[in-house]
Amino acid sequence: MLKKRVIFTLLYDNGSFMLSRNFRLQKVGDLAWLEKNYNFSRVAFSIDELIVLDVSRGERNIDRFCENLKALTKGCFVPIAAGGGIRSLQHAFALLRSGADKIVINTPLFNDSSLILDIASKFGQQCVVASIDAKLISNSDYEIFAENGSKNIGKLNKWFEKISEYAIGELYLNSIDRDGTGQGYDLCMLSHIPQTLSVPIILAGGAGNFHHLAEGLSDPRVDAVATAHLFNFVGDGLEVARRKLLEVQKFNLATWDHPRDIERRGISCN
Amino acid sequence: MGNLWSVQSAIKYLGGTSIISSDPEKVLQSPFLILPGVGSFHKAMVTLRETGLNQAIIEAVRKKGSKILGICLGMQLLGSYGTEDGDTEGLSLIPNRVDKFTSQEVKNNKIPHIGFNGVEVNQRKGLFLNLSVKTDFYFVHSYKMLKENLNGRIGICNYGIDFLAAFEFENVCGTQFHPEKSQTNGLLLLNNFLS
Repeated sequence: MLKKRVIFTLLYDNGSFMLSRNFRLQKVGDLAWLEKNYNFSRVAFSIDELIVLDVSRGERNIDRFCENLKALTKGCFVPIAAGGGIRSLQHAFALLRSGADKIVINTPLFNDSSLILDIASKFGQQCVVASIDAKLISNSDYEIFAENGSKNIGKLNKWFEKISEYAIGELYLNSIDRDGTGQGYDLCMLSHIPQTLSVPIILAGGAGNFHHLAEGLSDPRVDAVATAHLFNFVGDGLEVARRKLLEVQKFNLATWDHPRDIERRGISCN
Repeated sequence: MGNLWSVQSAIKYLGGTSIISSDPEKVLQSPFLILPGVGSFHKAMVTLRETGLNQAIIEAVRKKGSKILGICLGMQLLGSYGTEDGDTEGLSLIPNRVDKFTSQEVKNNKIPHIGFNGVEVNQRKGLFLNLSVKTDFYFVHSYKMLKENLNGRIGICNYGIDFLAAFEFENVCGTQFHPEKSQTNGLLLLNNFLS
């Protein structure tokens, strides 16, 4: 049986990794910081998938992002999606050569759908993750904001219909209102997904503890839950959360041994 | 491609060295070959034929006894026949053909089959040494082989229908899943392949 997924999202801005709250960014540290204080290579063994987004507000340095992506993914043996500011096939290709398996597309969904088709025909539809940032406007009425949440694009329902016709492999649905708040996911957004949209749904925005992850995973419409909150799952936070989801809540997640447990069994895997 | 990069970084993690090559001479000199796959069955076979790699692979495996591991489309290319993007003959190192999942076969599941899924192995030796009887691996595919009439060690996954997830017979190995994307489960399998 196909497993549900717990995904970690790293937000990158010009050489640093960031915390985001309602799309306002706060610098946390660079790659060395991430390894030293967060023990990222250990966290990487507690997730099903990694997403790395270049959320730079200024001009993006693609080469530098690719270098960071390469360094980050070296010891990471899960599927990796990367994106942020993708405007050309060359840009997508640069990320795919730097360790990414999938490309996350946001703004071009609304103004350059031919790019999605180009990426899908060159690398396959499974390579495209459509990312949508939505905000509650009034009574269950959501609107989409593109360009790092700065530009109102229109109603979520209307765009969902359109996007369901695109050659996408997955949908990353993020709540701007919940982003970085730790108040839990916005499950109401899910009711706007049309029947015609049959790709897996990754729910993002708001997870503050393992109960929130559990709440997201319990929803039959959700295939994966994502968190970008570095501090809510600090230390062995994500490892413990995953264990609880598996052992206490009996969620249908993939299992594997941590490298240290494999070594304990006397098998050399490193 | 992401695939190549991560296969190489997994081998490095396991203490091995590897080169990425499309040179038939290099293929003939290598005791271990890994065939990943990008694009469609048809396009990949055309490229293998144009570069002479198809002959080099078959000679290395059949005459020199090199071990080969096909990953994802790479395993499908080891098959006898594919229908993706036009009917095409494969390398025929595995006798079975490759067909698309039909919506009838997968029942209520989505196509492509994407994500971690359990694989049941018939023997915990060779490629499957140190794995559990049922182990989770990461899949991304719309085409599959069936296990019918195959000898050797076999891993089966169910996605509405039972299909061939992993295979080992003599020096020919294949995985429909991505061991380089399957955490320590995949690292163990790659380690088995290389030892």
